[in-house]
Amino acid sequence: MDDNPGLSEQYRTASPWPLFVALGIPVSEIGLLFDLFPIAVGGLVLFCGSIAGMIDEVGYVEAPWRPLGALAVLCLAVGAVLFVAVSQPTRGAAVIVAGALLLTGGVAGRLFVRDDAVPV
Amino acid sequence: MEITEQIALTVLMGLFLVGIAAWLARVENWRTYSPVGGGATGGEAAYGSEEKPSGLIRWLTTVDHKDIGMLYGAFAIFAFVAGGLMVIVMRAELMDPGMTLISNTFYNSLLTSHGITMLFLFATPIIGAFANYFIPLLIGADDMAFPRINAIAFWLLPPGALLIWAGFLPIPEVIPAQTGWTMYTPLSAGVGSGNQANAGVDLMLLGLHLTGVSATMGAINFVATIFTERGENVSWANLDIFSWTMLTQSGLIIFAFPLLGSAIVMLLLDRNLGTAFFVNGGSPILWQHLFWFFGHPEVYIIVLPPMGLVSLILPRFSGRRLFGFKFVVYSTLAIGVLSFGVWAHHMFATGIDPRLRASFMAISLAIAIPSAVKTFNWITTMWNGRLRLTAPMLFSIGFVQNFIIGGVTGVFLASIPIDLLLHDTYYVVGHFHYIVMGAITFAGMAGLYYWFPLFTGRMYQRRLAKIHFWLWLVGSNVTFLAMVLLGYGGMPRRYATYLPQFATLHQIASLGAFVMLAGGLVWTYNFVVSWLEGPHVEDADPWNLKENGLRTNEWAWFEQKRETAITDGGEESETVTDGGEKVTDEE
Repeated sequence: MDDNPGLSEQYRTASPWPLFVALGIPVSEIGLLFDLFPIAVGGLVLFCGSIAGMIDEVGYVEAPWRPLGALAVLCLAVGAVLFVAVSQPTRGAAVIVAGALLLTGGVAGRLFVRDDAVPV
Repeated sequence: MEITEQIALTVLMGLFLVGIAAWLARVENWRTYSPVGGGATGGEAAYGSEEKPSGLIRWLTTVDHKDIGMLYGAFAIFAFVAGGLMVIVMRAELMDPGMTLISNTFYNSLLTSHGITMLFLFATPIIGAFANYFIPLLIGADDMAFPRINAIAFWLLPPGALLIWAGFLPIPEVIPAQTGWTMYTPLSAGVGSGNQANAGVDLMLLGLHLTGVSATMGAINFVATIFTERGENVSWANLDIFSWTMLTQSGLIIFAFPLLGSAIVMLLLDRNLGTAFFVNGGSPILWQHLFWFFGHPEVYIIVLPPMGLVSLILPRFSGRRLFGFKFVVYSTLAIGVLSFGVWAHHMFATGIDPRLRASFMAISLAIAIPSAVKTFNWITTMWNGRLRLTAPMLFSIGFVQNFIIGGVTGVFLASIPIDLLLHDTYYVVGHFHYIVMGAITFAGMAGLYYWFPLFTGRMYQRRLAKIHFWLWLVGSNVTFLAMVLLGYGGMPRRYATYLPQFATLHQIASLGAFVMLAGGLVWTYNFVVSWLEGPHVEDADPWNLKENGLRTNEWAWFEQKRETAITDGGEESETVTDGGEKVTDEE
C-alpha cells in the first residue's frame, strides 16, 4: 500500500476514550478543589473509567476490569491518606467513594459480564 | 437547602455519567467498531480513509495526527480571535486618559485574560497544530508515537480555556481574574482587602494547570516521535530544521511546564487550604522564582518552533538552502540550554543579591549570540537569492524585521542599570510584543499561508494576503514602537488610566492596533472564502519547490495523496468542465 500515503490512514484512527480522559481531569479537579462531593466522585469515576477503557482498547489487557480495579485501589489509598493524614475528611471521602464505585464496577464486570460480550 | 443542592448535583452528575456511558456504548459498541453519526462518506473522502467515522463524531474521536493538528489549529485561531478582540477593547479604552469605555477592574480582567489567552491558548496550540500535522510527515513517521495521548493533550485545551475564561461567563459570584498573566503573589493568593480571593481566580489557575498538562503530554509525544518514529531515510544528519526546533522546544516544555504546574498547585493550596508557600508567612518572592524558572523558558518554548518555521519557509522562496544549517541547529540548542539560566532578569528590581543579578545579566546578554547567529543566517540565506515575495515569504521577512527590533530592545533590558529604569514600563510591553506578535504570530501566519494549499487543497487570494501582511507590518510597528517610546517616557504598564502627557502616543498605539484589526478581518475573510470557494491547486507543488530541489517530505506526501485520491475515484480539478466550480463532498 505504498501508494496510500500516510500509514495512519491504514489503521484505526478513532478512539472515543481520550475525550473523556481529558474531561475527567478538570471535573475531578474542580470537585476536589471546591470540595463538591458529587462532582469529585463523578470526575474521578469518569477519569479512571476512561483510562481503563483506553488500556483495554489498545489491547494491553483482555478486559478493562483489572485496570479498573487497580485504579480503584489507588483511589482508595489516596483517599485514605487525604482522610487520615492530611485531615481533609470530605475530600478524602469523595476519593474513597469514587474508589469504592470503581471497585464495584470492576468486580461486577469481572463476575457478570460474559466474555463473549466483549469481542476481541 | 444545602442538602437539596447536594442531591440535585448528585443527580445531575449521575445523569451526565450515564449519558456518557450510553454514548460510549453506541460509539464503541464495546470494541466492535462501526461508524456512527451518519453515512460513511463525509470527511473521509478528503483523507482516503475507510476507518474514520463521519461528521462530528470523527472530530470528537480522532487520534489521527493530521486531524488533531487541524483541531489544534481551529482552537488556536479561535483563541487568537478572542484574545485579539480583548485587546481591541483595551486599546479603545486607552484612547483617552480617563476611565471612559470600561471600568478599571474590567480592564484588569481583560489584561490578565489577553496575556494568558495569547500565550497558552494561542501561541502554544498553534505550534501544536503545525507540529502535529507536519512533524510525522516531515520525518516519515506513520503517526505520532502515542496517538491517544496526543488526543488527550488536545482535549484538555477546551476545558482549560473554559476555566480560564470562566470569570467572563455568566456564573453567579464568579469574577474574572485580575492578577496579570504572571499571577504575582500576594495579590494572586487572594489575601488582603482585594477581590482576588474569588473563585474565578481558582478556576483560571485550574485552567492554566490543564493547559500545562496538555503541553507536557504533547512534548513527551514529540520527543518520542522524533527519536523513535523517523523514517528509514531520515537520520539526525538530515533531520529538518522545524523538527529540530520542536525537539528542543519539547525538551524545554518537559523541564519547565511541570514546574508551573507545581507552583500553581502550591498557590491553589495557599488559597484554599491555608498552606504557607507564598503567603501566611511564606515568601511572595518564591513565586517569582518558580514562575520565571518556567516563564522565561516559556518565551523560547513559543519562539523556537516559529523560528523553525521561518528557517524552513524562508529558503524555499530564496531559491537556495538555509545558510549555515548546522549553526542554526546549534544556536537552537544553545538557546534551549541558556534559557534556564536567565529567569532572574525578570526580578532585577526585587532586591535580590547583586552578585546573582550580575550572573543572570551575563547569561541574558549571552543569549543574544545564538539569536544573532540565526538572524544573520536568515539574512545570508536571502542574500543574492532569487527572492519570490509570496505571502509566506513576506511574513517570514516581517518576522526577521520584527525579531531584530524585539531582540535588540531585549538586549538593553538584560542590562541591570537600564532594566532598573525601564522595569514595569511600556518599554517592556513594546519589547515582548515585537516578539510575540511581530515575530511569533507572523511566523504562524507564514506557516498558515505556506501550507494553506496542502491542508485545504485550494489557494488563497494573493492580493488579500499581501494586504493582510502590510496592514500587520505597519500596524504592529506603529503600535509597538509607540509602546517603546511610552516606556522611555516613564508610562507604567498595566494601567487603565494614565497622565494626559501620554495621550498622543497611546492614541498612536491604538491606531496601530486598529490597523492590525483591519488586517485580521482581511485575513479571516480570505481564509474562509478561499477555503470554501478558492481555486483548487493544480499540482502538488504549488510553490515550485522542485525546481530548486527544495521540496520537503510533506509536499511529497501531498503529491501521493492527490494521486491516490484520483485512483480511488476522487475528483481532480482538471476534470472540472464548468470553469472551476464544483461540488465536493469535503467538509
